[in-house]
Amino acid sequence: MILFRHECRLLLRQRLTVGALALLALLTMAALAGGMAEVARQRAAIAAIPAAHAEDIGAIADYVDRTKDAGSAAYYSFHPTWDAPAPLAFAALGMRDISPYILRVRALGLEAQIYDGETFNPELALPGRFDFAFVLVFLAPLFVIALFHDLVSGEREAGRQRMLEALPNGGRALLRRRMALRLLLLWGLLCLPFMIAAASAGVAVSAVLIVVAIVAAYLLFWAALAALVGRLRWSSVANAATLAAAWLVLVLIVPTLANVAINASIPVHQGAEIAMAQREAVNAAWDVPREATMRRFYADHPEWADSAPLGPRFHYKWYLAFHQNGDARVADKVHAYRAGLEARDATGRSLGWVLPSVGVQALLTQLAGSDLAAQLAYQDRIRAFHARLRAFYYGYLFRDRPFAKADFDRAPRFKDVPRG
Amino acid sequence: MSIVRLIARDELRLMARNRVAVIAVVLLVLLTLVAVASSWAHQNGIAELRGRHAHAAESAFKAQPDRHPHRVVHYGTFVFRPLGPLAAFDPGVDAFTGNSMFLEGHRQNTANFGDARQSSLLVRFGQLTPAFVLQVVAPLLLIFLGYGALARETERGTLRLLMLQGTSRGQVVRGKLLALGAVAMLAGLPAMIGLVGIAGQPGALALPMLAIALGYAGYLALWAVLILLVSTLVRRSRDALLALVALWAVAVILLPRVAPDAANAAVPLSNRLQTEVAVARDLRTMGDSHNPDDPHFAQFKQAALDRYGVATVEDLPVNYKGLLAIEGERLSASLYDRYADASYAAQARQNGLVDWVGLLSPTIALRSLSMAAAGTDFAGHRRFLEQAEAYRFALVQRLNRLQMEDVSYADDGATDAGADRRKRIAAHNWQAMPDFRFSPPSGSTLVGKALPGLVILLGWMAGALASLAFASRRLGARR
Repeated sequence: MILFRHECRLLLRQRLTVGALALLALLTMAALAGGMAEVARQRAAIAAIPAAHAEDIGAIADYVDRTKDAGSAAYYSFHPTWDAPAPLAFAALGMRDISPYILRVRALGLEAQIYDGETFNPELALPGRFDFAFVLVFLAPLFVIALFHDLVSGEREAGRQRMLEALPNGGRALLRRRMALRLLLLWGLLCLPFMIAAASAGVAVSAVLIVVAIVAAYLLFWAALAALVGRLRWSSVANAATLAAAWLVLVLIVPTLANVAINASIPVHQGAEIAMAQREAVNAAWDVPREATMRRFYADHPEWADSAPLGPRFHYKWYLAFHQNGDARVADKVHAYRAGLEARDATGRSLGWVLPSVGVQALLTQLAGSDLAAQLAYQDRIRAFHARLRAFYYGYLFRDRPFAKADFDRAPRFKDVPRG
Repeated sequence: MSIVRLIARDELRLMARNRVAVIAVVLLVLLTLVAVASSWAHQNGIAELRGRHAHAAESAFKAQPDRHPHRVVHYGTFVFRPLGPLAAFDPGVDAFTGNSMFLEGHRQNTANFGDARQSSLLVRFGQLTPAFVLQVVAPLLLIFLGYGALARETERGTLRLLMLQGTSRGQVVRGKLLALGAVAMLAGLPAMIGLVGIAGQPGALALPMLAIALGYAGYLALWAVLILLVSTLVRRSRDALLALVALWAVAVILLPRVAPDAANAAVPLSNRLQTEVAVARDLRTMGDSHNPDDPHFAQFKQAALDRYGVATVEDLPVNYKGLLAIEGERLSASLYDRYADASYAAQARQNGLVDWVGLLSPTIALRSLSMAAAGTDFAGHRRFLEQAEAYRFALVQRLNRLQMEDVSYADDGATDAGADRRKRIAAHNWQAMPDFRFSPPSGSTLVGKALPGLVILLGWMAGALASLAFASRRLGARR
């Protein structure tokens, strides 16, 4: 232990090292603070939904109440859904900046609504977010390189190598101690601020443990790489250059190359095709006999088939029925589109098995619920909610029940999912 | 041969003897070629796909049967953002913004289906484009090749030998600069050849290409100067390397990420839900078409009756419902425009803040220069959104006018068996509607937007050269 303390004193006497460590601590804390501020912004936006929704629905209820028409209520009422950030979201914002986390839907065709985006500044999203995942994946390796590249070569260049080799076991204990100390310092500077932030955000202990283990493993990988390069007995400069080049290749070049390869080899049928096909299917209903539309709808949804036949006047149940028929018409395209997205994502993730940078990013966004899977899960929750909305309004429309002011309060409400 | 060129030739010979350096240069050239080819293919694919989709949407619109004009307002149309040829060099925000937009009455929809939401997580590591290679990878290569240029000579004492032979410090520095500058130009060459390849494309503008070429040449030259500056100031080559890699990491990787986050926190954007609720609220206060006693629409009705000198809307020579639709669309569109303008202004302010950080990071300055000249920055996207909105408004109002003139008021409200037939107007009306044509900005507009970035780069260059001149006077002095 005393040796360890001496080693520590020796290390902290180097100005470069102390500066690097202080910088890493600063960057980690800034990234955590930035991530937490962003998550707080998103939570505040979600918390502001009920008031805005109440105002909107109140005005609609006022005029729908005059006619008691359930169809107008269904047509004009937007219902908010949201994807609350998981406790760990501050550490890895993932796709949460470019995918909507609030989406309003009506009981009309869902495929024309579910792909809508959110207002965001594309130039700010382009370089990626400055979050804990970025500090770990991109920056931490550079600090490992700075601290590890001359562990052996530095001794050789200072002329102490021979002396060290004369120590019992070739001074390997000393080297191990030095490496452990540096790793421990880096790990602590990344993990201590993270653990404080995680505790204040209420992250589950298991998730925190996984993250700190990921940090340790990732740092260990880079330290091992540095040790490997060190065994080539090159000069410190050559070591540093080689390691920086390895960083460039592993963190920047291979992922971008793989992205090109994946997008080329797994074509995704553009979502725009779904939107166009759905619009055709929906609007064609105006030009076919209304009974045909209803027959098709009742075939899919026999629970409403006993509804009264359509009269000569416009009836919203026909309108909503052809919207739902339109969704059904593109269901295959929707499946194919989603399967394509999942295939791309899965391939990207499987690259993480060989590329630590990608693996760490994938794991962190997965834990933080900010990856594509979380986005798709949110879409599933929207779909389930939308099905409840339809059932709710159909209960009035297909049974010709009046829709009064009080009925607006009976509409289904989107529920948050509790997450660990 | 002058001494400067002799030193430069010697430095280059040394690099050529260094097998690692040669491999690195070859790899960079290969990477650029791959980037040019893949970016080129990708953009062609996108252009082809969007063209096909746009064509399908236009034909679908024109193939509509006889319809009530208001049906067509809701049938709407799809528009797709075309990309300029320079997007193959720097696609900018294209992957992050949606590229297809559904235009319909009463609503302003978002542009959907951006590539970033359709790709794996790897897309957030960066996109392999010629711009990315030159902005991010090339400077690091130059660092590897040049960190020791002067530090090595100082460290090994060979500098003193050179000076003993009558070489001045300035000559040594200029010679090394010449060598590293030549390598920098070599590194940028494949991308520039790709850029010239783009010049053969129809629609490629000469001025923006010149701005891009100048910008990247200046950027790489700037790195050459910065590398020599650090190599002059630092006496050990290892320290020079570490300092340069740190500088690179801060300027190229760190600041371009930190600045947007700071801008995002400094200037808040209103989200869609809040905007839509606010638009609905304002619309109600301006004129609530659902309220039969609304003062605005009562006044509007009276004005219409007075204009035609009739007593009831049934007596009007035009369809009052069409008239109402025109007024309603005018009100809602004006509100959407107002909120969209506020959002665009906020985003422009955010980008302005990031541009200020360009004073600290030449990469940010170059990136905004490059995107602005290629027309793939936020302003380019905004151009598309505004043109699409103008087209949407004109289309909807044409259709409303058709309803006003070609559908009678009596038919429009009728519910008898034949009413549906009488409400419809002939299909040739849809074929007469103009298609959406994105009008690309002129070359001088693009260059105008790129100019601030170019000025910042020049400022960096002047500062770096002055520092180098100052530092080289003390080169090799004992400290």
